[in-house]
Amino acid sequence: MDHDKQGRDSFEFPKWANAIRLPVALMAAGAPVYILGMLYLLFDPGTTSVGYQPEQPVSYSHRLHAGELGIDCRYCHTGVEKGAAATLPPTQTCMNCHATIKTESDRLTLVRESYQTGLPIEWVRIHDLPDFVYFNHSAHVTRGIGCESCHGRIDQMEVVSQAEGLNMGWCLGCHRDPEAHLRPVDEATTMGWTPGLDQRELGAQLREARNINPPTDCSTCHR
Amino acid sequence: MPKPFTSIVLVLTLLMMIPLALLAKQRVIKGRSPRASLVWDMDNQDKVKTQKANAMFADGRGMRLPPEGTVARDDVVGNPGLTEGMVDGVWVEAFPVPVDEALLTRGRERFEIYCAVCHGYSGEGDGMINKRANSLMEGTWVPPTNLVSDAVVARPVGHLYNTIRRGIRNMPPYAAQIPVDDRWAIVSYVRALQLSRGAATVSDLSAEDRVALGAAAE
Repeated sequence: MDHDKQGRDSFEFPKWANAIRLPVALMAAGAPVYILGMLYLLFDPGTTSVGYQPEQPVSYSHRLHAGELGIDCRYCHTGVEKGAAATLPPTQTCMNCHATIKTESDRLTLVRESYQTGLPIEWVRIHDLPDFVYFNHSAHVTRGIGCESCHGRIDQMEVVSQAEGLNMGWCLGCHRDPEAHLRPVDEATTMGWTPGLDQRELGAQLREARNINPPTDCSTCHR
Repeated sequence: MPKPFTSIVLVLTLLMMIPLALLAKQRVIKGRSPRASLVWDMDNQDKVKTQKANAMFADGRGMRLPPEGTVARDDVVGNPGLTEGMVDGVWVEAFPVPVDEALLTRGRERFEIYCAVCHGYSGEGDGMINKRANSLMEGTWVPPTNLVSDAVVARPVGHLYNTIRRGIRNMPPYAAQIPVDDRWAIVSYVRALQLSRGAATVSDLSAEDRVALGAAAE
């Protein structure tokens, strides 16, 4: 601490401080950008939700069953056209085939146990919306929103992981612009479907023909 | 300038890269941990939702099995021809539902979801599951029946319906996956497949169609 001419306490920047004015100013200006940027990335669904890939009790492969063997999604997820939940199949559905195929496989031990005891296999839920959101599968699938639009290329996933953020902004993005995703209803479960013509053109046609006007008010999903 | 100044700036800059790298990793690599909930009891409420576990019950199931003898509101009762394909121990010979284009279209769609996996799209028993079982050389596998064979053509529709509902030999029952209306739709489509594969003769055509066919042949 120095003293000025009147003898009061004063502080004088040393000469070298001149040299660091620019870096300090840059850091001061950059800090908020950095912090906000990090917070944005931290809470972005691409960070928090996409890529969630829990280990399942049975190493079921969608790539084999839905991809290679081409089993339709609805063979197992029978609820998808009728109600809110797509539903996981009962063990009986696995045993439709596995009563006679791969009957000794170690990977199916839990399936056989579940079939014998009647207790369900405890699959780990991947796509889990908050409990104050009421999503209905049938409302989407029967209007021509493909499984793939929200779940990604399940037919290529050896182990399923979350492909989309499933956050509110993401939902609203499609509700405000359904043309970008609408497809013919009978192609809803097709994986890797491509529109013959321009997607926006087809989407607009389908929207017009089926009178599709997705609501965007709060109570549509929060009720 | 104090000597450590440059080093401090350098170290700070490097430290700033760590969160960035961690976030980048989290964005690229698939993770085993679910989304963090800021307000846990809002995101995960103590209420029973479809297929959710519930510790309140001994078997841990949130959804309860219906008590024996109960009938769901949309269950059809009192029409065995429709629900069982059999009346007084005799297979139903005529469709108990009107057969029209809508039923056949529905039947085709349902057939291709639930039946084609084994029986194949043409019904000949050459589905993908059959191919898979053969490639695995499964000794326990019994090839699926050829649905357009004479034996199946000869079966009454009630018998085919019952096969979907209760299974037959190695084929498991599909009653849980396919509701009553869809079972009849599938039976109608199986009949259509049979007709398309030679079970129909020219004499089955109407006079009008026969003329049209003759015209096409010339």
